[in-house]
Amino acid sequence: MAEFLQALAQGVLIGSTYGLLALGMGLVYGVSGVVNFSHGDFISLGMFLCLALYSALALDPYVSLIVTVPLMTVLGGLVYWYLLRPMVGHQFLMVVQLTLGLSLVLQNGILMVFGGQSVRTPSVVESKLWILGEVVVRVPHVIAFVVSFAMAIGLYIMLRSTDFGRSIRAVHQNAHAAALMGIDVSRVQTLTFALGIGILAIAAALLLPGTPIQPSQGLRYTVITLIVVALGGMTNFVGIMLGGLIIGLSEAYGTIYLSDTLGMLLPYGIFVLIMLFRPQGLTWSSSR
Amino acid sequence: MRQEFYKTLLSPLWLVVLALAVVVPPLLPSYYLHIVILSLVYVALASAWNIVGGMAGQISLAHSLFIGTGAMLSSALLLKLGINMWLGLVISALVSGAMGAIIAWIDFRFQLGHLSFVLITLAFAEMGTVIVEGWEFLGGASGLLLPRDTGNFWAFQFGGGIGAFWAMLVLAIASILINVAVLNAPLGYYLRTIRDNENAARAIGVNILRYKIAAMVISAMLSSVIGTAYVRYLTFADPYLLVSPIIIIEIVLFATVGGLGRAYGPAFGALLLVPLGEILRGKLGGTLPGLHYFIYGVVVIAVILMSPRGLLPLFENWWARLRSRPVATKQG
Amino acid sequence: MLEVEHLVTGYGGVPVLHDVSLRLGAGELVGLLGANNAGKTTLINSLSGVVPPMSGRIRFEGQDVTAMTPKQRVEIGIIQVPEGRLVFPEMSVRENLLLGGINARARAHRPRQMEHVLELFPRLRERLGQKAGTLSGGEQQMLAIGRALMAEARLLMLDEPSLGLSPLFVQYIFGIIDRLHAEGLSILLIEQNLNLTLRHAQRCYVLERGKVAIEGASDVVKDDPRTRRAYLGL
Repeated sequence: MAEFLQALAQGVLIGSTYGLLALGMGLVYGVSGVVNFSHGDFISLGMFLCLALYSALALDPYVSLIVTVPLMTVLGGLVYWYLLRPMVGHQFLMVVQLTLGLSLVLQNGILMVFGGQSVRTPSVVESKLWILGEVVVRVPHVIAFVVSFAMAIGLYIMLRSTDFGRSIRAVHQNAHAAALMGIDVSRVQTLTFALGIGILAIAAALLLPGTPIQPSQGLRYTVITLIVVALGGMTNFVGIMLGGLIIGLSEAYGTIYLSDTLGMLLPYGIFVLIMLFRPQGLTWSSSR
Repeated sequence: MRQEFYKTLLSPLWLVVLALAVVVPPLLPSYYLHIVILSLVYVALASAWNIVGGMAGQISLAHSLFIGTGAMLSSALLLKLGINMWLGLVISALVSGAMGAIIAWIDFRFQLGHLSFVLITLAFAEMGTVIVEGWEFLGGASGLLLPRDTGNFWAFQFGGGIGAFWAMLVLAIASILINVAVLNAPLGYYLRTIRDNENAARAIGVNILRYKIAAMVISAMLSSVIGTAYVRYLTFADPYLLVSPIIIIEIVLFATVGGLGRAYGPAFGALLLVPLGEILRGKLGGTLPGLHYFIYGVVVIAVILMSPRGLLPLFENWWARLRSRPVATKQG
Repeated sequence: MLEVEHLVTGYGGVPVLHDVSLRLGAGELVGLLGANNAGKTTLINSLSGVVPPMSGRIRFEGQDVTAMTPKQRVEIGIIQVPEGRLVFPEMSVRENLLLGGINARARAHRPRQMEHVLELFPRLRERLGQKAGTLSGGEQQMLAIGRALMAEARLLMLDEPSLGLSPLFVQYIFGIIDRLHAEGLSILLIEQNLNLTLRHAQRCYVLERGKVAIEGASDVVKDDPRTRRAYLGL
């Protein structure tokens, strides 16, 4: 029972951050139809930026956000404007190859700067634990959970009740009509991509404490994100956060109750089945 | 349309290739011979992938499964069960072909869009990695070490170096010729029809399932055979190299850089990028690991933005202009 | 107010409109008629700037707008109500109206303008919180026009407002159009419904295969035998 509860806690806490990773990808897909295969490498980049700031200035990852969020947001905007925007509307399948190429560039750029060894970035809360009965939770996981949900709620409110949020939803629902309202569609797509990458900078810092990182991890994060997005339905907020929890839980339980291999296969298996039988995601209504 | 194929087959260009193949390799230092062999491996793989990825327009990331099966399964059969590697090659190719047929069937049955197809095949590729690394029979995470290559042809040994070069040359040419053959056969026309407008193809009664399966099976079996030959050359069956999604991403990028869907495009891309990457890795790999992948990434982004149809069309234009120039001066 | 001179527009280098010229004075209600594929929607989309012109010139209140982006054109008051309404289906009526007035010029006056629109369409006030996708076709047409008014249109371009509506709603919508015209709004009305348009518009242009075939006052166009021929696409 203790094991069960432990896995539950771990799965929920980590899963919330997976949800946050996926929200960025879902937003971008929603407004521009781009599936970014370098998503995970941007997470890597966020983590290694934190590492660099720790090495140079001894900044805690949570403090580094002051630098990494603006930096990554601007980078995301530039990437969309100069690399992806020219592809939208024509040569669309090429976006897959382009973001795969971008993934190689980011991953190996990081490799050239930081080397290939697995490294850890310390944080003040890294080894702090909370003991609740039989369940032990790590404080960084709790912070990740709280911040992820706060971010998700914040994004939701932003989309509902600001002009920028409404422009994003308008472009998603009908880009042509949005242009007729005087919305600059390219600009909204660029800002959304920038926002998505900025969110990744936050998610990176949340995942970082206590986690060894290496440059080649990016593709794994991309795949996890894709799985969560597919589970939740590309543009469904609640669905995506639920999808994150499902993947977090299936990882946690899979590795406890199944063999390592089967545990690792579980999320992929779920993903394939969802893609085949419910391509619009798990939840019924789409609250776009 | 068959004529085009025979014309290619009887082209005098092959004599040049043959002459170069006989004369050059023995003169090359082993390091450069290695680069040549590696280039041929990727020429063969990129051409094999092109049948699905280029002609049918389906960006399959599952090809690492077929390459991995060809490499790991044939090695495991030899080492664990003592099965001759020629037979292992055939068994692996059949297994790969069956997996390819299943993937094509899934694609057809569930009417996956282009994007869903990419995502599902990526999931299959990741699952393949996890399975190989977790399954001791296939070598697990530590891989398999093949016996030394003594040049015994009947044991699928080519004696390394020059022998491996010939084996790879044969495979690369075969792969390209199969591309030319498919492009000029009815299959090629149907694949392009399906790629350009699947609904229209369906409406005029094209048997989509049949052609999708045919393309995928040909491509999968070919990739598997190349995988077996590649692992024999490497001697060490490394799952992190041969079953990783990175190998298929490289192939996709080479094919894109060269020119998708054309008979020689992917081969052109691989011939351009592999030597460049390997030489960079040889010179700077110690100080800047990953530089060659970095360059691949930059090149593919630049090519997609500037010449989305690949470099081969550009090269052909340039070549045509170069050849027409003397005529123009004569007239002037 | 609006002058279009020798406009050539098309997709992928293939012209759809060949050398179209038309004029619309301030406060005028002008009809644009034509069979399917005559180029009506292409014309209004190039007036909105979403389809770039290949050559020719578009002037609005003396200002050359040919090179302006769709956003800039909305900001000077050239507003389109697109064919098929294209309301944002997953957003509430209120949000649709707010989006209508999102451009820089109209944004500040949204509360006042919203009140105006809701007076014009009391039905929308009842449905304010409802998702636009759940409205009937006629209600969606009201919303689409309301959305355009939120943008503080100076030139309102309506693309097939009667399409797919019941006769009762068609009458209602044309009543609204007349009322807006009476209030002094300049309106370009694109329609397939020949008689209806000739009855409401002051002047009409008939497009045929991307060219202006006939133009003139509505009763002149009405009596021209070529009109019905062009209309049947013969």
